[in-house]
Order: sequence, then C-alpha cells, then structure tokens
Amino acid sequence: MAGLVDSLAMPALSCRVPSSYVPSPSSSSSCLTLRQFPQFSGNVLKYRSGFSAIACSSSRIRFSLAGGKNPQTLVSRASSAFGPSHSSTGALTPEVKESLNKFLGEHKVVLFMKGNRMFPQCGFSNTVVQILNSMNVPYETVNILEDDGLRQGLKEYSNWPTFPQLYIDGEFFGGCDITLEAFQNGQLKEVLEKAMCS
Amino acid sequence: MGSVTKEDVESTLTAKLQPAHLTVVDTSGGCGASFDIEIASASFEGKRLLERHRLVNTALTEELKQIHALSISKALTPQQWQDQHPSTE
Repeated sequence: MAGLVDSLAMPALSCRVPSSYVPSPSSSSSCLTLRQFPQFSGNVLKYRSGFSAIACSSSRIRFSLAGGKNPQTLVSRASSAFGPSHSSTGALTPEVKESLNKFLGEHKVVLFMKGNRMFPQCGFSNTVVQILNSMNVPYETVNILEDDGLRQGLKEYSNWPTFPQLYIDGEFFGGCDITLEAFQNGQLKEVLEKAMCS
Repeated sequence: MGSVTKEDVESTLTAKLQPAHLTVVDTSGGCGASFDIEIASASFEGKRLLERHRLVNTALTEELKQIHALSISKALTPQQWQDQHPSTE
C-alpha cells in the first residue's frame, strides 16, 4: 500500500490503468500504457455500471460521466473550482494555494486522487475510495491527473510526495498507507466522526 | 542517471534515521523503481504515524525524484518492533 510518486513520468505511464472496473491494489505488476490498453483510442467506452469514459487523444485522459441523471459530477465540479490548468512548473502558485484553502474550507472530506471514485486510475487511490465508501461519509474527490498545476502544487501544499492524499477537516490526514492503518485501528472512524460533528 | 536501487534506499535510510531494523524490498514490476519499506527507528519516538512517514519521505527526497511508488508498511519505534518480534531479539 502506498501513494504513487509521479515525478517525471507521463500521467498515463505513472499509474496503473485498471483493467477492470474496480482494480485490485495488489496487482502491482499490471502497468499498462495507453498503447497496451487498445480500447483507449478516443472511443467512448461502456463500463459495467453504465457510465462511459471518454479518452482524449492528448497525453491526459479525461473521464466524464454520461447518461446518468446528473452528468455534472462532483469530480468535475471540484476540479473546475481550481480554474484552468497551470503549466507544469512544480511550484505552488498563490492561485492554487488560495483555491485549495477555499476548497478545503468548504468540504470536510476531500480525496485528491488519480481518476475519480467511479473509475480510480490507480490501485492505491482505489483503496482509499473503497475505505471512504465503507465509512458512509460524504466526500469529494479531485482528479489530479486533470490538472498538472494542481498536482505539482499539492505535493508542496501537503508536503507529501505521493497520491492519493486525504484531507479531513482541512487537514492533511495521510496517503494510502496511513489511511489504511487508521481504518484498521479505528482512528479513521474517530477522526471522521469528529469532523462530521464539528 | 542510474535508477535507484534497494541498496541506495537502505544506505540513505541507515545514514539518516539510524534504524534498529530496516527491510527494503524492491517491488517494481516494470513501472520503474518501487519499494516497500519496514523500518524501526528511535527517531520515531513520540511521533504520530504521519510524522514518521514524513521523516522517511524527507530522508528519501532525492531518491523520491526517481522512485515511482513508495510503500511504508511499517514505521515503528525500536520498542514497538521488539514487541512485535519477540523471538528475533
């Protein structure tokens, strides 16, 4: 269990693309590139749950929900709160910092992850999504693959080199390892209950 | 520009955190360097898990530029390590 470091690799290469709807975090050797995942050719893909994913032809992959009652997802709303993409400078710009302060002030539980809760693009992100789902708390997810400025800025903001990153009550809680351990020893439940009551 | 090896991670952590116990496993499966770390160090005394992980991340700042996935499965104090492994000491 860990977060993924995404230093130099392209987004599509730096994360395991799940070959099924819910990827297993334990399948650590399944590193798929776009080329190895032939369905990603700009086509609209249908998944078991009925939503479709649209893969853009650029190096970034964007997923959107379609056909559902509410096509505007939490993810896209959350991501748009950060405005347009910034260039990949690796610095935490004042704009990103301010957006993060504001966003984290408005939402009690936020998971910055690769992909979204319906389609995690990384086993470690998926692990945290599954944990949060089991806790029955409302949470926001933000797909850091959609905004490289946010992705680089967050590493600095959180002083944490990997993703996923979980925030509870505006505070950095941890990555996958820490969240998993806190889930297992009951601390996560305590912290979440406290946050929900505050 | 060689990639980070298990030995690099071990020597950096040994130098910076003086671990009482350290196991580094290279778990990369084609994605680039990926490691799983079990570490027990007196530096972790009185620190929460988050702070312990931060110490390891900070110690490996240089290596993390090349490491793809870092998993810290255990970050214990020497006492906690002994409690968990009574037969090995």
